[in-house]
Amino acid sequence: MSTLLGPLDQDDRIPPRQQTRVAAFLMSAHGAQARQLAATLPIHLLQPWQLELHAQYCREMEILSLLTRATTWVPDPALAFMIWQWEAAWMPQPMPGAADHLHGLLVDMAALGHAIHAGIRPAALLPEGVAPTDPFVLAMRRIEFESGRLLQAQILFLKGPQLVDVRDEVSAAVERRHAQVRELWTSMLGGLNVGTE
Amino acid sequence: MPFRDGLVARGFRVASYDMLGQGQSDKPRLFIDQADQVAVLRDLIAELGPRPIFVGGISFGGVIALRYAIEHPDTIAGLVPMSSFAEIPPQLMRLGTAMRTALILGGTTYLQDLLFPMNFSNAWLEAKSDLIGLATHRGWLINDVYALQNLMESFLEFEPLTPRLSSIKVPTMIMTGEYDFLTPRTLQDSLRTHIPDSALVIIPRAYHAFTLERAELAAYVMARFAEDVIAGRWRGKKTIWVAPEEVGGELTPFPAGFDHLRAIPVRLETPEHAVQSELASS
Repeated sequence: MSTLLGPLDQDDRIPPRQQTRVAAFLMSAHGAQARQLAATLPIHLLQPWQLELHAQYCREMEILSLLTRATTWVPDPALAFMIWQWEAAWMPQPMPGAADHLHGLLVDMAALGHAIHAGIRPAALLPEGVAPTDPFVLAMRRIEFESGRLLQAQILFLKGPQLVDVRDEVSAAVERRHAQVRELWTSMLGGLNVGTE
Repeated sequence: MPFRDGLVARGFRVASYDMLGQGQSDKPRLFIDQADQVAVLRDLIAELGPRPIFVGGISFGGVIALRYAIEHPDTIAGLVPMSSFAEIPPQLMRLGTAMRTALILGGTTYLQDLLFPMNFSNAWLEAKSDLIGLATHRGWLINDVYALQNLMESFLEFEPLTPRLSSIKVPTMIMTGEYDFLTPRTLQDSLRTHIPDSALVIIPRAYHAFTLERAELAAYVMARFAEDVIAGRWRGKKTIWVAPEEVGGELTPFPAGFDHLRAIPVRLETPEHAVQSELASS
């Protein structure tokens, strides 16, 4: 099993079936982030952190738009089950031990964001020799690059002073979301005969 | 790794590893506690079994090696902090903060682009341009932004070790590159003045990453130190030395009467410095 996408087609591009699966997974994950952010944002932005959330929301929407347009899509019947499985996994799971339900939800949202932005590295799957200006390749690189920046809001929140008293619970929530995202990502790639180790 | 190979070729067993948060080691998601880094080193040394053990650490790794020597003084025969520091003065703090920002905004590759010219000479950068591309790609592949960020933050917030350095009793050879401006010689010299049985060795024409650029020479100097300690010949005396240009050469004392912290030849004036340079020349 290869650790990279491919083999490349005659134009040195990632095969459309692989593009479709990878893009569908990323759209599901980033779409969940965008929905959760949209639900959290107030109509009028009053606090600095709300501006950060708004910026995050816009970037997640950009990622979704980019994937829609940069991917060469092909029909994939297996996606119906996969998407249902992925969407179920992104459902909120309030952190146990939080001060209240809302707090627990916020930590879980940030933990999921941390797992998606830190744990998924699509550009690392691109093989040597891939067409460097292919839109899908550029999209993968851009998404991975942006993820490093998007991650900062989650890091600031999860490491912030307001969560010092529940640091172990927060770490456990982050670890749980990382394990979940990794398992789904690995499983999806395994279906394409791509290993992650 | 030529530095490691150079020591192995001289009959030493070498155990090396990536720090937590880096390369192939575990990457804690949110927090890296320096105590955990010391615990990893303690476990590794325990695994190696009874034998004369020398601990070397480069840059961040040197800080962990210093902490280990402070907290577990009876388990090692010698200590070699390389391009390291025991506290973070304003220049290093600002550089570290800027590198953290570079990592966050520009990613691993941008940070590496900044680090290469800080770590190596023009000659090396020119000669190794192909290797740099490969090394950058590999560095990007095996590292994660969040984990490197955690590692950097654990050092930007660390408690200065200087007040505890005097408790290090083992023979200590502090190594520094002649042109290291990332962790300049004043930082290494602070280790020398506080660690009783220490000596400072300047690697000529070298920058921060001299174990990569001058790997064979660094291995030679380190091997000589270990052999001297094992044979009972080592006398640190807080002296200052200049390593030879090439493997096989002799270390020479820093010129007596001159200030080793200046970039131009300036004569020492204080009695304390005069005594130190006298020791170096003895």
